[in-house]
Amino acid sequence: MFKIAAKGSALLIALAMTLGVVQNSVAADKPFAQKKIVLQISDPNPFKQTLVLNVANNLQKEYGVDGVEIEIVAFGPGLRLLFADNANKGRIQALASSGVEFRGCSNTKKNMAKKLGHPPVLNPIAKVEGPGVVRIVKLVTEEGYTLVKP
Amino acid sequence: MKQALKKAALAAACAGSLAATMQAQAANWLMLQGAEPSSAAGRAKVWGFLQPTYTSMKGTEVAAGGWNGSPAQFNMQPPHLSTSKGFDLRRARIGIRGQGFPLDPKVNYFFLAEFGSNGITWPNGGDGQARITDASVTLSHIPGARIRVGLFKTPMSEEMYQGIHVFDYINFTNFGFQQLLERFMTEDGSGAPGSAGVNAPNGPVNAVRDQGIQVFDTFKTGGWDTSYSLMVGNGNGINRADNNDQLDKYFYLSTEKVYAGKGPRVQSLKLYAWAISGKRDIIVTSAGTGVPERFDRKRNGIGMTFRKGAYRAAAEILRADGMIFAGTDGGAKAGSIGCCGAASGQPAGFNMLPDDKADAYYVHLGYAVTRALELDIRYDTMNRGTETDAGERKFTTTTLGAQWFFNLKTRLVVNYEIRDAEAPNLPSTDNANKILSEMDNRLSLQITSIF
Repeated sequence: MFKIAAKGSALLIALAMTLGVVQNSVAADKPFAQKKIVLQISDPNPFKQTLVLNVANNLQKEYGVDGVEIEIVAFGPGLRLLFADNANKGRIQALASSGVEFRGCSNTKKNMAKKLGHPPVLNPIAKVEGPGVVRIVKLVTEEGYTLVKP
Repeated sequence: MKQALKKAALAAACAGSLAATMQAQAANWLMLQGAEPSSAAGRAKVWGFLQPTYTSMKGTEVAAGGWNGSPAQFNMQPPHLSTSKGFDLRRARIGIRGQGFPLDPKVNYFFLAEFGSNGITWPNGGDGQARITDASVTLSHIPGARIRVGLFKTPMSEEMYQGIHVFDYINFTNFGFQQLLERFMTEDGSGAPGSAGVNAPNGPVNAVRDQGIQVFDTFKTGGWDTSYSLMVGNGNGINRADNNDQLDKYFYLSTEKVYAGKGPRVQSLKLYAWAISGKRDIIVTSAGTGVPERFDRKRNGIGMTFRKGAYRAAAEILRADGMIFAGTDGGAKAGSIGCCGAASGQPAGFNMLPDDKADAYYVHLGYAVTRALELDIRYDTMNRGTETDAGERKFTTTTLGAQWFFNLKTRLVVNYEIRDAEAPNLPSTDNANKILSEMDNRLSLQITSIF
């Protein structure tokens, strides 16, 4: 009886550990990342678009693709970076392929829709959930990210 | 192993994206001047350039003929023609460009004004006046057919169509200066001075620009960027309305293999062809009617440019049919009073050959010795007035050049032009050959500062 109970407990613990690993791997695509960086782009200056992409690229060069988690949060005039027809879409695609997350601001999207008369068409790579600044606060205060604003 | 694979994938993705970026912004003047990077341009980018220039010629006077002893037009410094050597501000341009409403990448504009000292601002050396040279709006709503309207450079010979702030030389080729940089005249100067007095351009040079509408775009096929442009315009220069109900038609086609880089100094091989066709009204003074007659004005060319690593090259064959600019009476500075013979007491004026032809070619080679120093050589030749033996003139110039780049935006250009001209079908003792043989060589220095 005790033996069966012990075996059952061990199985449950193993199952729980396995689930835990699975859950962790879902929560973080890069479990071995040494750094977590959130890059903010909110500037109308088009040069900043190039700059923020360069910084993301340089961070990956420095820490390795698996060594750094990068999320680029675009809001305000900076959301133009994530327009579907942006001239930098090739670079954005390449960075996304190597694990860089792109997130747009839902408030900015709504405001731009008012000015345009229709919602802006965004790059399908971009996730748009909630205000961009709230996303930055969450990443910095709850998930240990460092904010960099090139 | 997995790490290595990921890194390899990243490198490949980066390389791919870099290539995509280069292609997306491949340099061609149609796109560089008429479009903006989509969703990546500012509302109003202020830019411009300055070109203070020093020119020196001997100032040899007209050596024969009715204006013997007068200053020779071709040995004086335009546009004022008051000296054969000295400083001038060849160009001083400031402009604004961008997407006025940044959320809409399908609309952009381009504005540029000239404050320097040249044929745009000082036609015939007269009263100086700053002028708008470019003011256009581009609409990119139709895939494959961008529409540009307003005043802007017309696609043509690479020498003239390129952004002048990255031109490797200071002065244009003979054909570019005489047959592409159009002077508009009321009379052709073929007879005695007419009602207009000294025959001279009636406004600024066209600065290879026109007011009109253009359809253009670039397509990427098999690693080549192929561009086209179709345009109609007034054909009456900058800042003026049409004057004869006849629109000029412009055609341009190019294909460009981009090796590396982007912008005006992209490394690439480009092949192109172009043609311009229009009508001009001008009084043939020798006919004595005083009524303008209508003539064709056609220009066309086929050429190539190459730039890779330290090597640069360009070549073009050009032709002109109608409205051939033919310099001044007796080669004298316009307004000079004749000394003898039939010209005695007569002012020298400009001449146009409305029903004649010209042809030309040029070859340019360049080599970047270091990052800062580039050496250039250009040979250009033009036969003008080829329809008659007596009227034909041949101009040949070999230009030796050096460019010193202080930085990417500021450079010094030094040119020494070995200039020759002749009337090839006339004896060397003919006055035309005596005059043309006195064409001076020309030394020029110019700083270009782009901001």
